[in-house]
Amino acid sequence: MQTLLIGFLIGCAFGAILYMGGATSYRRILGTLLLKDMWIIKLMATAIGVGTLGVYLLDLNGLANMSIKPAYLGGVAVGGVIFGIGWAVSGYCPGTCVVGSSEGKLDAIFTVIGGLVGALLFSMAYPALEATLIEPLNFGAVTLRDLTGVSGIYLAIPFSAMLLGLAFFVLKDRYD
Amino acid sequence: MQEEKAIISWKVAGIALGLLLTLATFLVQPLGVSTQFVVTDAAVGHRVAPEATAKNTYLKKYGEKESWGVGYGWMLVFGMFAGGLVTSRVLRAKQPEADKGSMPKMWESVFGGSRSKRFAAAFGGGVLLLFGARLAGGCTSGHMISGISQMALSSFIFGIFTFGTAIAVAHLLYRQRG
Repeated sequence: MQTLLIGFLIGCAFGAILYMGGATSYRRILGTLLLKDMWIIKLMATAIGVGTLGVYLLDLNGLANMSIKPAYLGGVAVGGVIFGIGWAVSGYCPGTCVVGSSEGKLDAIFTVIGGLVGALLFSMAYPALEATLIEPLNFGAVTLRDLTGVSGIYLAIPFSAMLLGLAFFVLKDRYD
Repeated sequence: MQEEKAIISWKVAGIALGLLLTLATFLVQPLGVSTQFVVTDAAVGHRVAPEATAKNTYLKKYGEKESWGVGYGWMLVFGMFAGGLVTSRVLRAKQPEADKGSMPKMWESVFGGSRSKRFAAAFGGGVLLLFGARLAGGCTSGHMISGISQMALSSFIFGIFTFGTAIAVAHLLYRQRG
């Protein structure tokens, strides 16, 4: 019960941040993908920069409940390509279409409905996809730490610094 | 073209999101959204078409009969809706005009004012988004924000392919704008 409440409250904050930060904005998402408006990419780089440092500081103290996704090259790459098309066409991702729906945006509601259909189609195609794209070439749930053998925090600090540097000093908007 | 900002800056939103991810990883587990579309499908499926759902090797893992599959993850997505609902009602006056409504001006400038065309694209895009996310094992939240923050190999691969494709498709869609 407590876990459900925590999930709900974290979700509320997540939704509020995405709404207030302009992540449900079509012009910002497409502006980012057209490499003209860097708002979203700066937001994401900052979030990942802070998140990497936070997660690996927790990990240093044995407090991180990590959840690493397995690296099956075929499925992750092909899934990424299909996802990328859907992202550019709808202007939403699975999280922002939920928040956009809450704002009353009809296109976001259609994206959510499409998403439910897409997830259903995937579950119907799963047996075929499992054999071809998910089980082969699976390198397991590995991180850069596993691959390099370097302690997590020593990788996290420079990686985090690079992302924050990118967001705060390097990326510049390029308007029409 | 983009003079209007948002209610909070990308800096504030980015830092808040990074801290929220850290908190979630400490309390339960990192953020993720796309699995919950399957959980919702499975919960409905167990009631509408119980035999087909029980036979499906993917759906039967989610949305158990007793709890409806409602756990931390589903409540998180439900919370996102609630959080968006409350803040968008309270702060609507502060949201830039360009970010309101169901028909983005930018879309209209190239594809015209047909609502059905925009909604068809949004629906089709949604189908691809969740098919792709489930095939890859996550979406922008689970793979990109949470996954790359954990420096997971799979999430770097997902990020490269997703951004690469989305950038190419966006340029294709808006090629006449230059």
